[in-house]
Amino acid sequence: MIDLRRRSLVRRLVLIAGVWTLLVMLVAGVFLTAQFRGAAIRRFDQSLAVLTDDLYAGSSVDDGELRAPFLTDIRATRAYSGRYWVILDKQRDGAMRAVERSRSLFDSDLMLSSRQVDQLDAKPGKTQYFDLRGPQDKPLRAAAIQARLPGYPDPVVFLAAEDRSPIDADADRFAGVTAIALLILGVGLILAVVVQVRFGLQPLFRLRREVAAVRRGKTERVDGAYPDELEPLARELNALLAHNQEVVERQRTHVGNLAHALKTPLSVMLTEASQQPGQLAEVVERQAQTMREQVDHHLRRARAAARSQTSGERTPLEPILDELAVTLERIFQDKGVQIDWRCPEDLCFQGEKQDLMELAGNVMENAGKWCRGKIRVEAAPEGEARLLLTVDDDGPGLPPEERAQALKRGQRLDENAPGSGLGLSIVDELARAYGGSVQLGESPLGGLRVCLDLPRAEA
Amino acid sequence: MRILLVEDDPDLTRQLKLALADAGYAVDHAPDGEEAQFLGETEPYDAVVLDLGLPKVDGVSVLERWRRGNVTTPVLILTARAAWSDKVAGFDAGADDYLAKPFHTEELLARLRALLRRSAGHAAPSLSCGALRLDPRAARASVNGEPLRLTSLEYRLLHYMMMHQGRVIGRTELVEHLYDQDFDRDSNTIEVFIGRLRKKLGADRIETVRGLGYRLIALEGESA
Repeated sequence: MIDLRRRSLVRRLVLIAGVWTLLVMLVAGVFLTAQFRGAAIRRFDQSLAVLTDDLYAGSSVDDGELRAPFLTDIRATRAYSGRYWVILDKQRDGAMRAVERSRSLFDSDLMLSSRQVDQLDAKPGKTQYFDLRGPQDKPLRAAAIQARLPGYPDPVVFLAAEDRSPIDADADRFAGVTAIALLILGVGLILAVVVQVRFGLQPLFRLRREVAAVRRGKTERVDGAYPDELEPLARELNALLAHNQEVVERQRTHVGNLAHALKTPLSVMLTEASQQPGQLAEVVERQAQTMREQVDHHLRRARAAARSQTSGERTPLEPILDELAVTLERIFQDKGVQIDWRCPEDLCFQGEKQDLMELAGNVMENAGKWCRGKIRVEAAPEGEARLLLTVDDDGPGLPPEERAQALKRGQRLDENAPGSGLGLSIVDELARAYGGSVQLGESPLGGLRVCLDLPRAEA
Repeated sequence: MRILLVEDDPDLTRQLKLALADAGYAVDHAPDGEEAQFLGETEPYDAVVLDLGLPKVDGVSVLERWRRGNVTTPVLILTARAAWSDKVAGFDAGADDYLAKPFHTEELLARLRALLRRSAGHAAPSLSCGALRLDPRAARASVNGEPLRLTSLEYRLLHYMMMHQGRVIGRTELVEHLYDQDFDRDSNTIEVFIGRLRKKLGADRIETVRGLGYRLIALEGESA
């Protein structure tokens, strides 16, 4: 048995409609054919009844002999023409003897079964209709009437019969045509149902696509207009998304508050320790440093955990690069750092603004630390859905073997050993969280080139 | 040298006061945002050390109010929040430097020295063009008193154009003054920077003179 709960709604609806249509069509076909056959047989019977009536009315008894009337029906004269009549004498022992018969019967006879004889006996003077087997074993339709004729000792049965194969053939043809017509109708109806269901369920498919887009982070909520039946579902989905986001946001805020609240006491401890040199001061300093790293590390992890659940944000790069360039030039103003940045206006990062700021900010700050005065930042779309952020500086750069080292330090972050003089470990961790990567290379300006590969959002 | 220390943690306050006094500064202390704002507006400090997490009024708001009220005292921000978005917000509000907690006192003192040295730098007359002002001493520009956020290249370009305001300046001339010789850039570089400047200054302030270059102008109704 097919588990209907797991089949597609479309298939389910079409299946139900199909089975029901088929059933109705079948019943309608059988009913129509039966009606047609019945009507044809009734008309046929009427013409036979006319013949029996003629026989009954025209027969006379002459000297105890029964005389059939002279009938002009030409078909009853030709042998095996298909139209027959016979007048039977029901003898005292119950046996039927043909007294007169149509010429068409030639050398054969029409026999009534004993049940049919009883039937006639039960209602004398009333025309009865039967199916018979005639000459050459042809199916016949017969009308018969049992009556007594004045001057004749035995009851007489007037029987007229005709080959029924023409009406059977008509009925069969009708059944065939009806079946074809109903089949066409049925197929048409099922097709209509398929179209209706597909069209009718369109909003459902749209909702599915939108939810998928939310999951993939293309959008933040389900936005389309939906029919009355789906509107509440869309609303509930949005409420759920909002609730989720709120919970995550709250957690993040809690972790952030805790982490930040710890920093002032740490500062106090560090300062106090540095003012009273000695073994205690060293231990305090070392431990405070570890605590700071731990706090920073877990703060980042909390943000990363939150990120995997909230999604759908897109952040334009240009204003971020502008803000960072202005800020970093202020931070490094004693050194006179000049940041030359280029970015297409419509380039968007698929992710949160804060994360993009951390990524670009740390890479650019690193460049600021090491450069002699010039930093070049270039953002450009890459392939279908990526973007490349390249930061060059004119500092000393890193030899290839140390480049690998700088990124390895990033990998160790997860093993609770955060911290890197380059600040690139954080970048590497974040970029990985976004399915991106960091490449270190040689800059045309002579220093280090850091190349960030990140997901791009459609503008 | 007079320093305003804005910090709400009593232990940190005590330590910093001590360290600053040891370094030879006269220190005033404000434990909350309201008092800090008042002191900053009324007393002529040489520098401010400003904690961002403050009772009553937070540090960024205090800083914004000072800057809006034309208090140009150099400000060093102290904060536990070291994310780049926080740093950018701090500098946007008008900070001159930024130090994340926890920190070493030596680092704070070094930064403070640099800050004071910078602000005491040689004075140069400020340039103006209509409502646009440029202060070469602080390397800052503003429109109607609202500070502009410019990168150094943008600032350089604007500085040059302000020194030659009203005159049409060719692209080659601008490129030559924008970059040092070792930088070679394609010809649309200037268009990119003019575009960014227009976005920040308002599009009408820089006129394009077809085939010749650009001209910085004062808007109608503005006094030069």
